Amino acid sequence: MWWLKDVWVIDPSQKISSSQDVLVKDGKVLEISSSMTEEEVLAKAQGEAVETINGKGKFVFPGLIDVHTHLREPGQEDKEDILSGSRAAVRGGFTTILAMANTQPPLDSRALVEFVLRQGERAGYAHVLPIGTVTKGMQGSELVEMADMKAGGAAAFSDDGKNIQNAEVMRLALEYAKLTGFPIISHCEDKYLAGEGLMRRGLTSARMGLRGIPASAESVIVARDLLIAEETGGKLHLAHISTAESVELIRQAKARGVDVTAEVNPHHLIFCDEEIRITDTVLKVNPPLGSPRDREILIAGLSDGTIDMIATDHAPHTQAEKARPFAEAPFGIASLETALSAVWQYLVKPGKLSFDRVIEAWSVSPAQRFGLLGGTLKPGTAADMVLFDPDFTEEIVPAKLVSKARNTPFLGKTMQGFPVMVWVEGRLVQRDRTVL
Amino acid sequence: MKWQRKDILAIEDMSVEEIRHILHTAKVMKEILMRPIKKLPTLKGKSVVNLFYEASTRTRTSFEMAAKVLGADTTSIAVAQSSVSKGESLYDTAKTIQAMRADVVILRHSSSGAANFLADILDPAVINAGDGQHAHPTQALLDIFTMQEHLGELEGKNVVIVGDVLHSRVARSNAWCLQKMGVNVTFAGPPTLVPAEMAGLGVKLTHDLDSALPGADIVMALRLQLERQKSGLFPSLREYSHLYGLTTERLKKTGKQSIVLHPGPMNRGVEISDDVADGVDALIERQVTNGVAIRMALIYLLIGGSSNVVA
Repeated sequence: MWWLKDVWVIDPSQKISSSQDVLVKDGKVLEISSSMTEEEVLAKAQGEAVETINGKGKFVFPGLIDVHTHLREPGQEDKEDILSGSRAAVRGGFTTILAMANTQPPLDSRALVEFVLRQGERAGYAHVLPIGTVTKGMQGSELVEMADMKAGGAAAFSDDGKNIQNAEVMRLALEYAKLTGFPIISHCEDKYLAGEGLMRRGLTSARMGLRGIPASAESVIVARDLLIAEETGGKLHLAHISTAESVELIRQAKARGVDVTAEVNPHHLIFCDEEIRITDTVLKVNPPLGSPRDREILIAGLSDGTIDMIATDHAPHTQAEKARPFAEAPFGIASLETALSAVWQYLVKPGKLSFDRVIEAWSVSPAQRFGLLGGTLKPGTAADMVLFDPDFTEEIVPAKLVSKARNTPFLGKTMQGFPVMVWVEGRLVQRDRTVL
Repeated sequence: MKWQRKDILAIEDMSVEEIRHILHTAKVMKEILMRPIKKLPTLKGKSVVNLFYEASTRTRTSFEMAAKVLGADTTSIAVAQSSVSKGESLYDTAKTIQAMRADVVILRHSSSGAANFLADILDPAVINAGDGQHAHPTQALLDIFTMQEHLGELEGKNVVIVGDVLHSRVARSNAWCLQKMGVNVTFAGPPTLVPAEMAGLGVKLTHDLDSALPGADIVMALRLQLERQKSGLFPSLREYSHLYGLTTERLKKTGKQSIVLHPGPMNRGVEISDDVADGVDALIERQVTNGVAIRMALIYLLIGGSSNVVA
């Protein structure tokens, strides 16, 4: 049994944000209360050994749920696989991760969905839930067997990595997915406006001669999908929102009662296009980093609930792929291991976001939207749980990363504030930053 | 001044002092180039590798000539297309060239930033011979060298660059270089090719060429890539030529004996009329000579450190 003493518990699902003691037994949260004597704890242990953790100055919260990760298996295991990706997840404080469908081949059938599910179970770290594609082969034309894939364990549907260009296909997907109750996750990017662009179109792209992607490449599809969701009554989730205009469109749609949720990636809250250097492929990401104004509006949108959740869009690539000229390097940032720390250091500590809101947006909100277990520390539920030490300091170096990828903008930087213990169903899987 | 730079990648990060030093060195090099026996022992035993991922006869030959006059050995590697799809990456190719003990690598590549990328990983000096839409510093330096020969001190002069500046590394490098020399630069062209964000280079933008011409000392026409029409960036050559083509008649609007430059090769009858092009031809010959002088200066400054032809 675990006894976490005098620890600051953040559990938005129970509206708790205060110093408490937490007991975990038999893989479940047993009790959260503000005062426990040793005698009471020993009585509850019923003879089991009690490991006591002094939680003073630390936080406990539900294990984070990341609804947007690329684990690359099957097909691109040189970048990442389900084992390395799910180890990276628990090192970073995530106990449930949703695996995107744009693998090779894409997860467009029940067999492939079940494969990913099984690989996640075999790995035995974070819960790995597959997202199925929306269309066969991610070709944007014929719908997949959504009901069968749900039966096989899919958690949602998305052609992420590619936008569904044909609006009628998007309409049909939003209609048909009603059979499953799952949202369609939309990667909003008009392929004509985005063209062969490499970064957000603006003064910085023009200066460096890097082809630009206008902000409208995202927001016109956000507008389209919101209108289709409204008309069909379908369930829509918007991935990696990155522009001010998109935030405004979502705000208006929610006011009209559209069934929509949206996520934002940590890097869009922390970086901006002006920081991109011509050799700095680590900040080459899709959607591209926006302007400082976009960043401000994204932070405000996350604070006020217009944006519902944070998701990493963990996009691992090999060093060789990123060690190319800017135009030829792939898009993406690997972030499972650093995302929470980065959000703490760059957003929570400076007072731009409350930690309670961060935990809500990264645990209970995704659990509710996607109908997942976890995201709560209610007594009786599985103890997917994180102990976070705001003072723990670590230099981000390749030797310590358990992901196969090194494409993080924090490489070589010293960061402060990390998850130092992580439990999945009450089983300790990470301690003092080492995956067990 | 003491030369400290390892590579020549872009004008943007160069100081005025460096630019003036290059132009001064090029002047000496041009004198050497005009001699009947134009061969120096200065870089004997040094090797210069031309690594060209885009077709270019003029620029490549110019670099080769420059290196040879200085006594260096040259090798040219022409790679038909970016090798990414064909296996060997730019990284691997460059490392191989380094292992063969090259002293200077001259790179032309279709990706913006390719030269900076190479300079970061290689010990030998890297000279950017054009990277994507980013920079073409030696072209800008030779343009400015030519302008100086005609006009003397350039400070306070007015230059109009007409055409597809959005996709042009020549326009970008010229804009940086000219502005550092105190020149007023205006970009002119249709809004699709001169979009508002080009103001990020600090230049004036206009879509009305005729209004930009009065007072212009130099007008530079850029080569219009004809395939841009297919991408919808302009409707027809006819309309483009009507609005932005340089004609004798239109050039009268400068009110001066303006110089017309073109980085070549010209689309006669499109961005430049035949009669104007004939005048430009004479200048192009001089630009070609100046190009060799500029490239001699750069190679010399980068690896000729211990000798002193310039003294």
